Amino acid sequence: MTSDTVPAAGDPRRLLADVRGLARKVRLTQRVTWLPLLTLALVTFGAIPANMLGEPVTRDCYSVEGGEICKIWEPAADLYWLVALVVAYVVIARVYLRVARERGVDARVLPYVLTGVGFSVLMFALIGVGAGVWFVRDAADLLNPSTSIEVLFRLLTPVGGIGLALLVLAWLERNVALLLFTLGYLAVILVPIDFGWGVHWGGHLQGVTSLVIVGGVLLLGSGGFALAQRLRRTP
Amino acid sequence: MTEPLHPVTGLDDVVHQRVRLGILTIAHEARRVEFVYLRTQLGLTAGNLSQHLTVLETAGLVEVEKGYEGKRGRTWITLTAAGNTALAEEIARLKQLIARVERP
Repeated sequence: MTSDTVPAAGDPRRLLADVRGLARKVRLTQRVTWLPLLTLALVTFGAIPANMLGEPVTRDCYSVEGGEICKIWEPAADLYWLVALVVAYVVIARVYLRVARERGVDARVLPYVLTGVGFSVLMFALIGVGAGVWFVRDAADLLNPSTSIEVLFRLLTPVGGIGLALLVLAWLERNVALLLFTLGYLAVILVPIDFGWGVHWGGHLQGVTSLVIVGGVLLLGSGGFALAQRLRRTP
Repeated sequence: MTEPLHPVTGLDDVVHQRVRLGILTIAHEARRVEFVYLRTQLGLTAGNLSQHLTVLETAGLVEVEKGYEGKRGRTWITLTAAGNTALAEEIARLKQLIARVERP
């Protein structure tokens, strides 16, 4: 770079290109994408024992045409997710900022962390009040929910919240690779993609299978982003 | 009716300079940036960067904060609200200039 004033009409295009190039370099410097993916993978794997050990509690049951509707609450698993996710997002914020500052820049991680924490608390509250019935016209529809309601319910879970918060991070960092990864991650949850594993196992084991798959996707993503970052930094 | 002013007339000499524009851009994107990072990205000597920072600080476009992390001295640069506005205006004028040059 020179220290001369730029000729007024000569170089505006080059100046703008410089501005965009510098902004892009800063965004690359700020990224610590592997960190939230690794942390959330560990939180997801940690949910497996909570899921297996806890017993669901049913309450406020009432009969509808074709069956019975109850509010279901899994104290061990639901409390685990709330506490683990809030702690995880606080850890992510602190380490993310520390790594970025070591590199000489600040990081825009706060909106991501607030989204993650907010969504975790919201999920816990929705489960606590048994809000499933709010999303259907007739409570009996919960016995045979439509595809759109099933997809909504899969999204309104702790692992769905992880995906929504990752979309915010991808937007904050203008990170196309993270956006594509998150869309794939959400597809795994919403379709859901479970390779048929555990379909006939029933009960807790079926839930464990999906946690293993989701945690595995996050772990692989973390490894991929860490490798990409290492390759980018190697001259 | 008077002819609209040419975008060049609105350019601010403090900002319309490649290095200082680079400093403002990096500080805007990073929120807070360390002196050494700026020096490396802009390919400047410490003395040259300090001179540009003094110009921007005097104009109220950046704030310079010196401190220590352990035994290591670190200097952080933050964009002020005026710096944010000046950067946005400079980029808008550059786009106007390009549009004007490209107009048939």
